[in-house]
Amino acid sequence: MGKVTGFLEYTRELPQRRDPAVRIQDWLEIYQPFPEDHLRTQAARCMDCGVPFCHTGCPLTNIIPDWNDLVYHGRWKEAVRQLHATNNFPEFTGRICPAPCEAACVLGINEPAVTIKQIEKTIIDRAFDEGYIVPEPPEVKSGKRVAVIGSGPAGLAAAQQLARAGHDVTVFEKSDRLGGLMRYGIPNFKMEKHLIDRRLEQLRGEGVRFQTSAHVGVNVAVEDLRREFDAVLLAGGSEQPRNLNVPGRELKGIHFAMEFLPQQNRVCEGDSVPDQILATGKNVVIIGGGDTGADCLGTSHRHGARSVTQFELLPKPPETRSPATPWPMWPLQLRVESSHEEGGTRDWSVSTVRFSGDDHGNVKQLHAVRVSPKLEPLPGTEFTLDADLVLLAMGFTGPVKGGMIEQLGVNLDARGNVATDASHATSVAGVFAAGDMRRGQSLVVWAIAEGRKAAAAIDRFLAE
Amino acid sequence: MASARFGVTTNYLINADELQIKMAQGAKPGEGGQLPGHKVDETIARVRHSTPGVSLISPPPHHDIYSIEDLAQLIYDLKNVNPRARISVKLVAEVGVGTVAAGVAKAHADVVLISGDTGGTGASPLSSIKHAGGPWELGLAEAHQVLVMNDLRGRVRLQTDGKILTGRDVTIAALLGAEEFGFSTAPLVAMGCIMMRKCHLNTCPVGIATQDPALRAKFEGTPENVINFFFFIAEQVRHYMAQMGFRTFDEMVGRVDMLDPRHAEHHWKAKGIDLSAILYNPEMPSRIARRCVEAQDHGLSEALDYKLIDFARESIETGAPIEIKLPIRNVHRTVGAMLSGEIARKHGSAGLPQDTIRCRFSGSAGQSFGAFLAHGVTLELEGDANDYVGKGLSGGRLIVYPPRTATFQPEESIIVGNVALYGATSGDAFFNGMGGERFAVRNSGARAVVEGLGDHGCEYMTRGVVVVLGKCGRNFAAGMSGGIAYVLDEKGDFAERRCNTASVDLEPVPHGDVELLMGMIQSHVDATGSSRGKWILENWDNMLPKFIKVFPHEYKRVLGLARQATAVA
Repeated sequence: MGKVTGFLEYTRELPQRRDPAVRIQDWLEIYQPFPEDHLRTQAARCMDCGVPFCHTGCPLTNIIPDWNDLVYHGRWKEAVRQLHATNNFPEFTGRICPAPCEAACVLGINEPAVTIKQIEKTIIDRAFDEGYIVPEPPEVKSGKRVAVIGSGPAGLAAAQQLARAGHDVTVFEKSDRLGGLMRYGIPNFKMEKHLIDRRLEQLRGEGVRFQTSAHVGVNVAVEDLRREFDAVLLAGGSEQPRNLNVPGRELKGIHFAMEFLPQQNRVCEGDSVPDQILATGKNVVIIGGGDTGADCLGTSHRHGARSVTQFELLPKPPETRSPATPWPMWPLQLRVESSHEEGGTRDWSVSTVRFSGDDHGNVKQLHAVRVSPKLEPLPGTEFTLDADLVLLAMGFTGPVKGGMIEQLGVNLDARGNVATDASHATSVAGVFAAGDMRRGQSLVVWAIAEGRKAAAAIDRFLAE
Repeated sequence: MASARFGVTTNYLINADELQIKMAQGAKPGEGGQLPGHKVDETIARVRHSTPGVSLISPPPHHDIYSIEDLAQLIYDLKNVNPRARISVKLVAEVGVGTVAAGVAKAHADVVLISGDTGGTGASPLSSIKHAGGPWELGLAEAHQVLVMNDLRGRVRLQTDGKILTGRDVTIAALLGAEEFGFSTAPLVAMGCIMMRKCHLNTCPVGIATQDPALRAKFEGTPENVINFFFFIAEQVRHYMAQMGFRTFDEMVGRVDMLDPRHAEHHWKAKGIDLSAILYNPEMPSRIARRCVEAQDHGLSEALDYKLIDFARESIETGAPIEIKLPIRNVHRTVGAMLSGEIARKHGSAGLPQDTIRCRFSGSAGQSFGAFLAHGVTLELEGDANDYVGKGLSGGRLIVYPPRTATFQPEESIIVGNVALYGATSGDAFFNGMGGERFAVRNSGARAVVEGLGDHGCEYMTRGVVVVLGKCGRNFAAGMSGGIAYVLDEKGDFAERRCNTASVDLEPVPHGDVELLMGMIQSHVDATGSSRGKWILENWDNMLPKFIKVFPHEYKRVLGLARQATAVA
């Protein structure tokens, strides 16, 4: 357990973020290096609980106390083995997971939680640096073929698990590059993309084949897949954005966040994007107070926006954990992301009524009203705000329809996601689903967990 | 009251509503406990009447209970000290517990507790939690059936514990024959326990199982949390009672016929298990009670102490000295305990000034003579005494010498029985003759002079001083972690054949100790008129080199540290 009294002796400490004024000049990750002895001290804060709630807080059931102990003792190679036992891609979760494990940390009842996420990130980064991460190809091949549709965290986790189980896996990705939303969506300042590439190298070494620009249901026929593969895993995500149906929505300068963010990812990759949506010199309004909204905020600042305002429909959450969500639940509370440090205004209980534009059809103003906690408009609170660029970051309604899903004929659940049984099997034999495509928009950690479970189910299916 | 009797003083006993004799723990039957020295801080040492920094070892058995009659005697002792308290005996669920329970009922316990294996604190060793003990259901069913079949059930209340968590557990336990139920895990969780299993490390982060003031400040539990929890339990029990048609809880006790095992037996893990022995309902005439309907007759009315209390009533109130002279017979058991209880009730652990109440007896005293004797009471006995003399001695003085007319050599004759001074916490004892086996076991503060011993003297002793002026049995000082013994070794075989040196050093009596040793022998001579004591003092220069100081390693180390600290200061 590291040190028995560690939690009494040390306080929580995280690496410093780079100065906001400096970091918005570039697209690199925002954290400064963290000395090893500081990190080991943080690992010593773990109490090795009799009932480790972090296990259950984490969708992957990461065996957190064990690797905290190994880090404290400087046993990094064993730590990464323990970490990889439950999590295929800790370098992703170590950066972009909101860390429900830390929300469930027992120390968090009355002290700041253990810095689990930082420890996780350090273990895997160090393992790559030390050269511990090498392909682990199977010793025996099954001869079975599996198609994985989507190369996001769910698809990649499933592909790796299936390849290591001896199956021939081909991943189909509709975009030109692999990684799904981790590639085109998450800004580079939150996760640099070479991290995906180095992990893909390992998967290739384990025999996973990748086909990019292969959009199943569009340029890849569903029938071919069914014929050529013994099983198909649908891991295509939940990419249908929620729209804002108000007058003026058709004006120029109003975009979904997922139109805006991927363009910048491409530019960072070195692509040239004609007519890129830029926030430079504009009054930017972001509608939606979640993580995607924060990503738009940070990206807008890096573009050099004149002003950035972020609206949220729901009331402002409390500064600390709401009594409605006691430990070890995921807390309802105000979250201040790194992007919020960089500037911009946040406002809550705001509902957009309409947009108005100039004679050329460009959006110029946003008209809004304040709402009660029950979302009823409050008379007399109407206001208007200058807006040259409006970004809609209001979540996603489910998988994109009108293609693969209909052609496969899988049943959907009440929320429009692909319906499965407990073993991730859809209504069509041999077709499985995992990740956001099955559970709706969610976290990377859930996607990895789903990918692993679906892979196990497919392995059992193929063995029958 | 566990086997080590730590902190079991008269004052402790008198302030209880229920006294429980813990024969064993459900989670770790047959095991003693050990509190390592580094955990024995000032507070723990004070409560346990020991020395900070010195390990405390609890023996697996009660050294005063080797048979059911011994247990009956202890129950009688406790009932004497505090007649208002219920006496409960904790047994573990195991095969044959029914027979034990029947014996305990005959030994006049008010409550029999059947403890299951599933509970156990977060500090129990994992090997014990997982691999010792049996479920309470088995033990409870057996105990209830045997008690009913022997018409003993009506005299005792049956209690059970061992991870009782829900109203369903309570209901099943009641149907199997229990009337009372022990909870701890669940109400602890209601108060904020998060099952850290760090109870043994003093680092409980929610301030429950810790002495650290900083951590204790984090405790956020309230009595209301627990009250609320028990309301839910009661509600659930009512729900089940309504389903079965019981109007009162009493109706439900022992109604095993209401338990339907089919669902359980159909579970794949339980297939093939025959539950009929648990669900057996002995056919008995209707006059045989199936739950507790009458109080035990503890036989207190014959106690000699009623007379003593009558004589000493004014002394107890005012502290006026009094001397009582009475003949004594061996039917007079536990003499002095009830009187001591009255003193503690009035004056707490301080008791009365020394020798306030002086009782002089002549004859053969029964068992537990001077048990739990409080400060201010002196019992002087001309004659002899049975087992357990001065058990739990709590500040009183005991003087026993042979009849003045006796012609035998006192130092060659046993004058007090076995297990004298077991669990004594303070006080003085002078025995002009030999003690029996297990003399001063678990002594944690009394000073005694005796002229010879049987086997296992001073075992598990933690504090106090014992002077032995004659021959000593084997295995002296086994597990002794504190206190000091001075043994006169005339034959020169003590170190080699008599003493268990695993935890003690043997050394000559240092110069600084001579005054203490001589003083104790002088007091012995003064109190008993011991001719041997007199002779030793007269030949002091020759006898002193023959004394061996028995000094526990740990005690020595801690005393040394304390002396260093004082020197530095």
